[in-house]
Amino acid sequence: MQNKILSVKDLNVKFNLRGRTLHAIRNLSVDVYRGETLAIVGESGSGKTVLNKNFIGLLDPNGFIDGGEILYYGNGDPVDLAKYKGEKDWLGFRGNEISMILQDPMTSLNPLKSIGAQIGESVRIHQNLSGEKLKQAVYDLLEEVGIEEPERRARQYPHEFSGGMRQRVVIAIAIACRPKILICDEPTTALDVTIQAQILNLLKDLKVKFNLTVIFITHDLGVVANVADRVAVMYAGDIVEIGTAEEVFYDPRHPYTWALLGSLPQLGIKGESLYAIKGTPPNLFMPVVGDAFAPRNPRALKIDFMEEPPYFEISPTHKAKSWLLDPRAPKVEPPEYIKNIRKVGGEVDGR
Amino acid sequence: MLTYITKRLLRSLLTLAIILTIVFILLRQMPIEGYFANYDKLSKVQIDSGLSQMGLDQPMPVQLFRMFRDLFKGDLGTSRIYRNNVPITEILAPKIPISLKLGGLALLVSLTVGIPMGTMMARHKGKFFDHFGTAFVVFIQAVPAAVYFLFLQLYGTELLGIRMLFDPNDWKMWVLPVFSMSLGNIAYYAMWLRRYMVDESTKDYVQLARIKGLSENKIMTSHIFRNAFVPMIQYLPTSFLNTVIGSIYIESLYSIPGMGGLLVDVIKRQDNAMVQAVVLLFATVGIIGLILGDVAMVFLDPRITLGSKKGGR
Repeated sequence: MQNKILSVKDLNVKFNLRGRTLHAIRNLSVDVYRGETLAIVGESGSGKTVLNKNFIGLLDPNGFIDGGEILYYGNGDPVDLAKYKGEKDWLGFRGNEISMILQDPMTSLNPLKSIGAQIGESVRIHQNLSGEKLKQAVYDLLEEVGIEEPERRARQYPHEFSGGMRQRVVIAIAIACRPKILICDEPTTALDVTIQAQILNLLKDLKVKFNLTVIFITHDLGVVANVADRVAVMYAGDIVEIGTAEEVFYDPRHPYTWALLGSLPQLGIKGESLYAIKGTPPNLFMPVVGDAFAPRNPRALKIDFMEEPPYFEISPTHKAKSWLLDPRAPKVEPPEYIKNIRKVGGEVDGR
Repeated sequence: MLTYITKRLLRSLLTLAIILTIVFILLRQMPIEGYFANYDKLSKVQIDSGLSQMGLDQPMPVQLFRMFRDLFKGDLGTSRIYRNNVPITEILAPKIPISLKLGGLALLVSLTVGIPMGTMMARHKGKFFDHFGTAFVVFIQAVPAAVYFLFLQLYGTELLGIRMLFDPNDWKMWVLPVFSMSLGNIAYYAMWLRRYMVDESTKDYVQLARIKGLSENKIMTSHIFRNAFVPMIQYLPTSFLNTVIGSIYIESLYSIPGMGGLLVDVIKRQDNAMVQAVVLLFATVGIIGLILGDVAMVFLDPRITLGSKKGGR
């Protein structure tokens, strides 16, 4: 478990927007271990996708890395992805080392190319096959992701596939690259619930089969419980709490994690309105002072508004950025519902 | 597919018949004075005999029937006024190839310049070439064509050392008209192709192609360009066939004996048979262009199926 494959250190990512600078990723550090599934959760705009786009060199043109390292250990010696500039550096890397599955399968395939051709592109680049061998490889991949009659299906076009089937094709494309890390950017958000489960199971199977490290971006905590080994909770461009799935779900320490878990409908009490976090995330055009979550945190301490908290270690695998964990802090009990998580755990946790 | 095209063609015949009938009826509403150069000086008898010579004394349905009967035999009729008693096919025969050649060359130039230009503009969006191209497009679209056509003629003839009068056998004479005629289309193709390509390049599948590890150039050619070209291909046959019709302004500017302006001319002179023939030609060209455009779309876009009800969107 301690074998790092990706190590982000003090990463800062900024965007230039109409003359102003948005600080999207603020001094973020995280390690990804070989063979694990790391889930990154957080609300919309917390920087989950921006963070991951750095790993594959697809930051929007107005975004840039402003300090920090992204060390990739896939081939032994670390390379710093933060120093990769432009297409030349990335070409051999994308797909080959890290691949990605996008959110919406309805738009992520080219409507004018046959399924076989689109998977074939990937196979040709990364496995160097052509002709009959290429065709066979495409059929094998289609079968791998659970699409029957691959010979017939490969000749069809995306509009002849349902959403779930298209996501399987997108997964086949990602797998065809034989990557070491697979980033799944909300791969089930656009699908209906029954299909979600199928796709998640498929991803779990493929992860084992191809020995993948998976980074799972989602805001669906149910999905997290289903797939993740470790969970990182992101808020306003930083990871506020990270630990094993058990630790984050059953022993959360950061007030934001409490609030996030509190928003699970499963924890609500029948007849009462559902819990929602009040307020809005901080404006990242402005510098953030203290704990970014303090203004929305009813249990905020005075120091939360002045000084940014460091990571406090709860266990070797579990740490959180909250002053509440400081020995000098007053004892603050997590909300009542956190204790109920174990009770409703069965519902949330699909395992 | 074949049944669809046959059906379309049959339906087109009906459309043509309707167009011709309408044009025919409208032409018969014109004042009879227009048929004679010296109407005021003619006696009643002379006028009547003139009308009966042209077949205009018969009731309209009879005239209409006669026209369709002749057409069916492949007879476009005879010009009465534009050139007295000359079969219309003979009048049009030398004109069509000239307009066709001029238009065909112009289209070739506009495609070979306009499409790379649009592609480059999309590829370097927001950079120098894009701004330069946009400036060109705006100039061509905003300034009346007459202005730069004249400039081209004045300075172009001097530069090439040629006379202003057209000679179809001298290749140099073709340069300026062809270039003038393609300018508008270059701007048009560049503008739309750029627009469609920029649209396409923001789509998710392009992102996925990058994730696959495809190079930016490969993505441009095999994904973005191809997809952006689909909405454009539909209009290509029409714009090609439209060149048969010719350009009034260029042809008159360089005194090119093509089809340009012919329709306006014969309507003014009330040469009924000529008007009908020219309208028939133009309408046919337009309809065939539409059919070819639709067929071309089917080959490029798998989502579109013609005729059959299954599949498609």
